[in-house]
Amino acid sequence: MGYNPDKPMDGRISDLGPPHYEKFFPPVIKANKGKWLWHEITQPGVLLHKSETGDEVYTVRVGSPRLVSVEYIREVCDIADKHCDGFLRFTTRNNIEFMVDSKAKVQPLLDTLASYGNRYPVGGTGAGVTNIVHTQGWVHCHTPATDASGVVKAVMDELFDYFTSMTLPAQVRIALACCLNMCGAVHASDIAILGIHRKPPMIDHNRISGVCELPLAIASCPLGAVKPAKAEVNGKEIKTVKVTVERCMFCGNCYTMCPAMPLADPEGDGIAILVGGKVSNRISAPKFSKLVIPFLPNTTPRWPETVAAVKKILVAYAADARKYERLGEWAERIGWEKFFEKCDIPFTDKSIDDYRLAYDTWRTTTQFKFTSHIK
Amino acid sequence: MAKRETPLLDQLESGPWPSFVTDIKRQAETKPECWDILGILELSYKDRITHWKHGGIVGVFGYGGGIVGRYADVPEQFPGVEHFHTVRVAQPASKYYSTENLRGLMKLWEKYGSGMTNFHGSTGDIILLGTRTENLEPFFWDLTHDMNQDLGGSGSNLRTPANCLGMSRCEWSCYDTEECCHSLTMKYQDEIHRPAFPYKFKFKFSGCPNDCVASIARSDISVIGTWRDAIRIDQAAVKEYVAGNYPANGGAHSGRDWGKFDINKEVINLCPTNCMWMEGSELKIDDKECTRCMHCINVMPRALRPGVDKGASICVGAKAPILDGAQFATLVVPFIKVEKENEFEELTEFIEKVWDWWMEVGKNRERVGETMQRVGLPTFLSVMGIDAIPQHVKEPRSNPYIFWKEEEVEGGFERDINEFRAKHKA
Amino acid sequence: MPTIEHNGKSFEVDEDGFLLKGDDFNQDWVDYVKGVEGITEMTDEHNKVIDALQEYYKKNGIAPMVRILSKTTGFPLKRIYELFPSGPGKGACKMAGLPKPTGCV
Repeated sequence: MGYNPDKPMDGRISDLGPPHYEKFFPPVIKANKGKWLWHEITQPGVLLHKSETGDEVYTVRVGSPRLVSVEYIREVCDIADKHCDGFLRFTTRNNIEFMVDSKAKVQPLLDTLASYGNRYPVGGTGAGVTNIVHTQGWVHCHTPATDASGVVKAVMDELFDYFTSMTLPAQVRIALACCLNMCGAVHASDIAILGIHRKPPMIDHNRISGVCELPLAIASCPLGAVKPAKAEVNGKEIKTVKVTVERCMFCGNCYTMCPAMPLADPEGDGIAILVGGKVSNRISAPKFSKLVIPFLPNTTPRWPETVAAVKKILVAYAADARKYERLGEWAERIGWEKFFEKCDIPFTDKSIDDYRLAYDTWRTTTQFKFTSHIK
Repeated sequence: MAKRETPLLDQLESGPWPSFVTDIKRQAETKPECWDILGILELSYKDRITHWKHGGIVGVFGYGGGIVGRYADVPEQFPGVEHFHTVRVAQPASKYYSTENLRGLMKLWEKYGSGMTNFHGSTGDIILLGTRTENLEPFFWDLTHDMNQDLGGSGSNLRTPANCLGMSRCEWSCYDTEECCHSLTMKYQDEIHRPAFPYKFKFKFSGCPNDCVASIARSDISVIGTWRDAIRIDQAAVKEYVAGNYPANGGAHSGRDWGKFDINKEVINLCPTNCMWMEGSELKIDDKECTRCMHCINVMPRALRPGVDKGASICVGAKAPILDGAQFATLVVPFIKVEKENEFEELTEFIEKVWDWWMEVGKNRERVGETMQRVGLPTFLSVMGIDAIPQHVKEPRSNPYIFWKEEEVEGGFERDINEFRAKHKA
Repeated sequence: MPTIEHNGKSFEVDEDGFLLKGDDFNQDWVDYVKGVEGITEMTDEHNKVIDALQEYYKKNGIAPMVRILSKTTGFPLKRIYELFPSGPGKGACKMAGLPKPTGCV
């Protein structure tokens, strides 16, 4: 028996919650929870955790595209069945972790992974680039200003060697959000790839009445650019809205609230690059990412401008930062004027804040460096 | 569903990183509707714009969230993705799985869905990507009856909570993030499934200040493990690090020659509070000055460990920039014990107090961090019954515009202008 | 957009079955939604929720937040889900002929 549409509420079960995590622990994890002493990355993508019981767990970390098929997950299960007693886990950054309880089991696991060609790249540990956390983009989202999976694929292809090695001054966390809603919370990443709109919303007067709660559309604008208005539709006057274009900063929140205000556009939309954010409290407090490149076009299918920009920033950072220094800490030490010079990124007025709390970012000291920006 | 020509997407099949295009094509062999996923995506690559309609509100009876409705704006061209709703399935804490469980879920999704998934969504749920409205109830029936599993959250609700893997495989976790996350998720099923809040609300649980789930950047209530006694030091291991016998930072930097390990340069001089020094071959820490940033522990995991009097700091109000700008969570409770023994009572009391207040004063689509900004941190603290302490701010305010309350000023605010004028001619 | 025929009346709706023109609302619409939203019998309690939604919408141009709906009707959220298994947004707003709720998912 299954769902009976004639009696939809009969036999319904709800509020079960997720399964208890402990059911899914590999035996060595279950036996040693809370007893771990220390860890070491024995090679890129392979972690060793040592327990006070003397037990060891070796974790092999593998990058995944996040957008994966049923067939892919089954293949991952085959690998875990063969090597890991039928258990595995995923990290918050969309990596897969295969765990084994002895060193002898690591190489056979690596060999199996390698036998699938490039499907299961091992890496993403230590002072390297780990997997990019990202949103849905054109695969599923209704408000994106760029794709997600395709951009991520193109960027990771270029940065692949940084995924499989640990040669950077510190870890570099890259994140992508396909619009300003930032489901991906990219605002505290070393390098953030952010989809942005640059054209104000159109108003679909024919459609607005049935689908839009006007006060919500008006209240949705943080700058008061959406105002009540009247329009004529089929000879009848209707209530609608208008947009004061000069006040629009293209956040798209009005479209989120009102389907009759679309703003996406092939020429208007693209990518902004923000850098220097971090989440960890290590050495310095968590930082927001800062906007350094205001716009790059959506050049499908491989976004060469975005890929090149990310690479350029990463290479400059790798060459110049000190050991343990995160990208934002490096930029702050050398000064942002030097950051733009060293990364060969033109500074524009778009990087000067003129939104809320903008004054906090203006320089109110005579301390600065003489870079090429001063003519 | 016919095979689709995808010349643009095909260019994403080359290169060393695994290709989602290749994967979807493989799935299309048994689930031909996947050709329409590729087809509509190819069209977006050609047109450089999304082809999904706004909104969509579908779900299962009894729940107000957990499924995100989606419809193609070119359904005639791609009937296989005319409906393309996303199902959020609540993930187990720490995202460990048995293959048996995953295979069960995959069997369900092969039957009822497109065959494509996200492992995982940004908030942490398992995302099953693309199904039709008529499949939702039968899927949910099988999910609950056969798999004993449940949907996650969406809308103005408590979003599916998430945690770092904590004590299960990390030596630094200062409380049991998994047990805490799981217990609270179970306790608040109603808040997850039946949206009743002004806007979304997120919990995230990190075991230490490294904050591997980014809770301080994206959760309304961020619980971050910490300790209040001394860092545990193994002096013998310190010597091993100094001698270069143990790799610094757990080997995280081994891909490049950074020279011989220098404890002064790499640990002591990078300490943000300058509270460490060497006495002979012994490492000393003035723990009263330590702010627990984790750097020294990260660099020398075999020599240094968090203390034993452990608990967590609670920070409140993080969010992404929409609308008034991004906010990190603000430190509100410096230290509480987070213990299963009393069912995390201190934490749940705090959470429910925040909810009671926010549900009363929060405006539509206002995150709790924005409500805090609107009323001010002093007001929030007083509502919560928490005394203001210097730990709540980076620095004292630099303007003198204090909202004095009448009862704080001798004699109150009421005065007689005639009495005043009797002494002061106009 | 699809058209729903019920009791000899026709209603223009979107993919999710929400009325495209609020003015089309009538008792036949209520009767139709009752069938698709898993409601066995309309009661005074159902009507109280529908009336409260329409009244608030007429006055404010928006649907009330869930908390306000609970307050004006006196029904806890749990009761509203018992009355409208799809919930206040997907079920009750649909029956009341209000626009489809929007916002962040």
